[in-house]
Amino acid sequence: MQAGGLGADQIQQIQLGGKMSDLRISDRGRVDHARPVRFTFDGKTFAGLEGDTVASALLANGQHLMGRGFKYHRPRGVVTAGSEEPNALIGTTRGPGQFEPNTHATMQEIYDGLSTESQNKWPSLKFDIGAINDRLYMLFSAGFYYKTFMWPKSFWDKVYEPFIRRAAGLGRSLTYLDPDHYASRYLHCDVLIVGAGPSGLAAALTAARSGPSVVVVDEQAEMGEALLSEPSVEIDRDQVWGWLASTLAEPASLPNVRLMNRSTAIGYYHQNMVGLCQKLTDHLSDVPADAPRERLWRVRAGQVILAQGAIDRPMVFDGNDRPGVMMAGAAQTFLNRFGVKVGVRPVILTSNDSAWYTAFDLADAGCKVAAIVDTRTDIPPALMQAAMSRQIEALTGYTATATSGRLRVKSIRVNPVRGGRVGAARTIACDAVLMCGGWTPSLHLFSHTKGSLEWDAKAKAYLPGHKTEAVHIAGAGRGLWGIAAVLADGAQAGADALRDLGRKAGAATYAVTNDRTGTGITQKELPTDRSPSSAKAFVDFQNDVTAKDIRLAVREGMRSIEHVKRYTTNGMATDQGKLSNMNGLTIASDALGKDIPQVGLTTFRPPYTPTTFGALAGYHKGSHFEVTRKTPIDSWAVENGAAFEPVALWRRASYFSKAGEDMHAAVNRECRATRQSLGIFDASTLGKIEVSGPDAVEFMNRMYTNPWAKLAPGKCRYGLLLGEDGFIRDDGVIGRMRDDLFHVTTTGGAARVLNMMEDYLQTEWPDLQVWLTSTTEEWATIAINGPNAHKLLAPLVEGQNMSDAAFPHMSVAECTVASFPSRLFRISFTGELGFEVNVPARHGRALWEKLMEVGKAYDVCPYGTETMHILRAEKGYIIIGQDTDGTVTPEDAGIGWAIGKAKPDFVGKRSLAWPDIVAKGRKQLVGLSTENPKDALVEGAQIVLDPKQPKPMKMIGHVTSSYWSEALGRSIAMAVVQGGFDRMGDTLHIPTADGGSQAAKVTGSVFDDPAGDRLKVE
Amino acid sequence: MNASIKSFDAISVTVLPAVARLNLRIAPANLEVASAAFGLPLPGKIGQRVAANGRAAWCLSPDEWLLHGPEAEQTAIVADFATARVKAPRSLTVISDREFTIAITGPRAQELLSVACPLDLSGMVPGTAKRTLFDSAQVVLIR
Amino acid sequence: MLLIHGPYCDDTLPELEFAYAGAAHIARPADPMSLSDEEWRDFLYVRSNPRGLHAERWRYIHGCGRFFNASRDTVGDKFSVTYKAGKPRPDLEKAVQMSK
Repeated sequence: MQAGGLGADQIQQIQLGGKMSDLRISDRGRVDHARPVRFTFDGKTFAGLEGDTVASALLANGQHLMGRGFKYHRPRGVVTAGSEEPNALIGTTRGPGQFEPNTHATMQEIYDGLSTESQNKWPSLKFDIGAINDRLYMLFSAGFYYKTFMWPKSFWDKVYEPFIRRAAGLGRSLTYLDPDHYASRYLHCDVLIVGAGPSGLAAALTAARSGPSVVVVDEQAEMGEALLSEPSVEIDRDQVWGWLASTLAEPASLPNVRLMNRSTAIGYYHQNMVGLCQKLTDHLSDVPADAPRERLWRVRAGQVILAQGAIDRPMVFDGNDRPGVMMAGAAQTFLNRFGVKVGVRPVILTSNDSAWYTAFDLADAGCKVAAIVDTRTDIPPALMQAAMSRQIEALTGYTATATSGRLRVKSIRVNPVRGGRVGAARTIACDAVLMCGGWTPSLHLFSHTKGSLEWDAKAKAYLPGHKTEAVHIAGAGRGLWGIAAVLADGAQAGADALRDLGRKAGAATYAVTNDRTGTGITQKELPTDRSPSSAKAFVDFQNDVTAKDIRLAVREGMRSIEHVKRYTTNGMATDQGKLSNMNGLTIASDALGKDIPQVGLTTFRPPYTPTTFGALAGYHKGSHFEVTRKTPIDSWAVENGAAFEPVALWRRASYFSKAGEDMHAAVNRECRATRQSLGIFDASTLGKIEVSGPDAVEFMNRMYTNPWAKLAPGKCRYGLLLGEDGFIRDDGVIGRMRDDLFHVTTTGGAARVLNMMEDYLQTEWPDLQVWLTSTTEEWATIAINGPNAHKLLAPLVEGQNMSDAAFPHMSVAECTVASFPSRLFRISFTGELGFEVNVPARHGRALWEKLMEVGKAYDVCPYGTETMHILRAEKGYIIIGQDTDGTVTPEDAGIGWAIGKAKPDFVGKRSLAWPDIVAKGRKQLVGLSTENPKDALVEGAQIVLDPKQPKPMKMIGHVTSSYWSEALGRSIAMAVVQGGFDRMGDTLHIPTADGGSQAAKVTGSVFDDPAGDRLKVE
Repeated sequence: MNASIKSFDAISVTVLPAVARLNLRIAPANLEVASAAFGLPLPGKIGQRVAANGRAAWCLSPDEWLLHGPEAEQTAIVADFATARVKAPRSLTVISDREFTIAITGPRAQELLSVACPLDLSGMVPGTAKRTLFDSAQVVLIR
Repeated sequence: MLLIHGPYCDDTLPELEFAYAGAAHIARPADPMSLSDEEWRDFLYVRSNPRGLHAERWRYIHGCGRFFNASRDTVGDKFSVTYKAGKPRPDLEKAVQMSK
């Protein structure tokens, strides 16, 4: 503290909250009093102890104020000691560029050098300008999003939207790449136990001793949960912490047991798959190099035991959000686990026995408990006696009606309630109000499984009902109270899980002394003698929802609890209503005049607590974001200055620039070189499928539109594949290698095509003797195009007569090329004389280099996908998926010639006879020539008949491909246009983003060498 | 992945030398013909393996076998099956270059696979194979 | 993530290795050209969307590669039974009983 210096506010707080040295009780708790730790909060240095959380260390320094409310920016203190914390959300900086918002101060362990900051405040936590919203309360009541911003319309852009954007969101988000890395694992086990409190540990012991694989996970740094806060209990005559140590030692020594702390079960998915987020380094000041920050586990368990305990509920009364007002259970945890008194003069406000024990522990630790205020009149005599013996005043049958204090509670106003009437108020000075409005079984994960929750009148809680998974719920999750009860229940759950695994086991029994059991009641907002309309009795601290908001929602017609939730946003913050749901439900059911079970529950959804995107992404970031498929020639392209583009998962060279060339210049040069002499192109990404078997030709006939029976071995043909709906799915050149063997090439969608073929083969035509094998990666494919292609290749080929007569266009052969075994195709996707050489992938680069070497004589030019696209477009060759979009038929695309009209059937044939498919006016693929030849159209741009028509204009098609054609010295484009074939020579208009438009004439789609003369060997 | 896996003593990761790999598809009724051609009695149950004389075969699906052999024997294997084709229709495709094999050895090998393989590998019998996923990549796991 | 029993390998495996392939027991007509437009439309597009058990096709795409049929509950999502393609649709009521 001294290092940071004291502000005036802080001095005031310390006077209120007692001397700091008084707040930490030496040698109490599980923190290490010999190991001081220093960290900063909002720039000030604070001292804590090893084992502290940020919250416990700040409380030990008398600092309750840890944040500001989301909507009204009211000062907020820490309320809980766990992951259910709604208020004390902080930003943490672990190192340069390692910031995280919205961390629970109650979960973040401190270490030397940790830097933290409060959120939702400007300019400072103590003076926040946004607190003006608190005065504008009326504006922000339930449904304000729906009501306030409805009018006037003109306010949207200037007022409402900027305001909402500024107000929305929690904390500040990162603006740079997360430098940390994250890991992931799959894990399989027989029994997964979530929660290592008394019930979870008892279940773990029972299960582990029988030998199955057991995983125990707990979100805390230390296992034990409630046992860590109840040191006076004895189990089997051992002080509870001694029992805990030996209990944890046993499973830790067993090879079949894995104990995982700092691991939150974030979601419970189908068939016992549970997602865990394990925090690995956020608590370390010295993080090992390469250590992942978090690890996401996907656990598949035979049996799951949920032992997640229960969460205490706030009391709902005016001013219940003032810093210093917190859960009694949390105060007990801070005291017993961390050795921190949350105040020196606390008032207990409760409707449950459990908070009385908090009062006793605090009194025994030297606090002056100003009063125990209980809304009940019927208190167990033992409790009354215990209070009396400690000289604690017990006010029973009382309500709380207000608190005072700006940044820390100074007093609480309480009134007796007699016969339903709220009596005269009395103000009690205090520095903390510790409340308990009951306990809510923590059943979020169970709720993820769609297991039903049923209202239990005795436990006054929703308890697990019908189960959909192999799951057991143990302990406080079933509404049980007291260590003895939950230990026994946990042991039984362990035995039940073993039984369901087909193993035998007896549940262990435990003798518990000094147990603290009890009971309590659940209630709506507390009665008051003041106008309820001015009360700020908070139900949801994180989303700033008050009791009044919930009643307003019901008054305004919300009947379903799901509607009340959305209208008020109660329970919709990142804490998912862990504290607020039951109170909201109780108040809503009162407003609706219905019983709680009739109103029902809202749904809990994963994740249980906020989870980093990093953990979910795991290894999938940066270069590992997605698989990068590289061709066998990729390394050559890297070495030779290729620019790359992703094509599906492939990385493809898009062009190879020489010194000083931009993309345009490089591509123009590549186009010229290929048309004038020789270009080579890595086409290895072509999908390839081997179709083999005696019925191969029949299969091809049924799958593809084209006829295949007359295609002789050694010949190839363009193949067109439709879906059963008649629309183009794929195309490619298909070579017949033998009578019973086809070498099929596809677009990049090879896996999809193979799946479709397998589907027909396996399920429609299982009688055909045909087998399909993917060979995409087996072959490296090099396309050689240009007037000198034959001259380059012919001398390298052995085993095939390369004369034009013996090996004409659309031929295929098995031979060797440069002594590599190959499948050689004479085909062209450029309109030039062309070949495609397939060699086993390992030879791909060697062949490429050989061709580059020999090709020097012809100024061989490697080209990339850009040039490939342009050369094919000049010839009007379509690219499936670019020029077609899943609604294009062969006729639409102008390739009706590829249909074997005599064939009785093929996939998609029937649909080609649909009335809509043969109708006039369909969108058809045509060429477009811009009036200004230098004008390039934008791919995807919409086409209209009249650019002067009012908006929205009638769009009659769009540009699918557009390039600069070096060969033609002008731009060229392809487009799908309604009735395009009947518009030849018409001028259409393509509006541009700047408000202008470009004019273009409809042409055929073959721009260059329409007769195909250049395909011939000269 | 991120940390260099090679730095762990508990695991070594190596790319194995090339072998001849072939994908065999044949009706189970004609399996004997294929067994005769390959010189090993091909297993009939998915996952099972036979191995002898430098050759091995795993059954991957009801009518699919992965064949491994010495690289030098690839041409001979293809020829033997070509002869057998007249007896029973089948598909034999060389996939030597389609895939490569990585050996992962060491006490924590299974743990390394659990980084991205969704299967419970603890019960996988040595020698057996399983086609599955490693992250988004399809793999054949051979124990 | 669901678990799916592969009817060919007789193993129960994670959903991740499988791909959904549409409704089951809809055979492609032997002679599509003889169908009326309405009949062809029904074959292509018209599907039931039951609440409860649904006959589906799945493919063990990253395993044995086989297409197979399944009966799956559209409410609880889980599979009640899987069976080889070409086998008749099992008695679904019975399948539900068995799965309980």
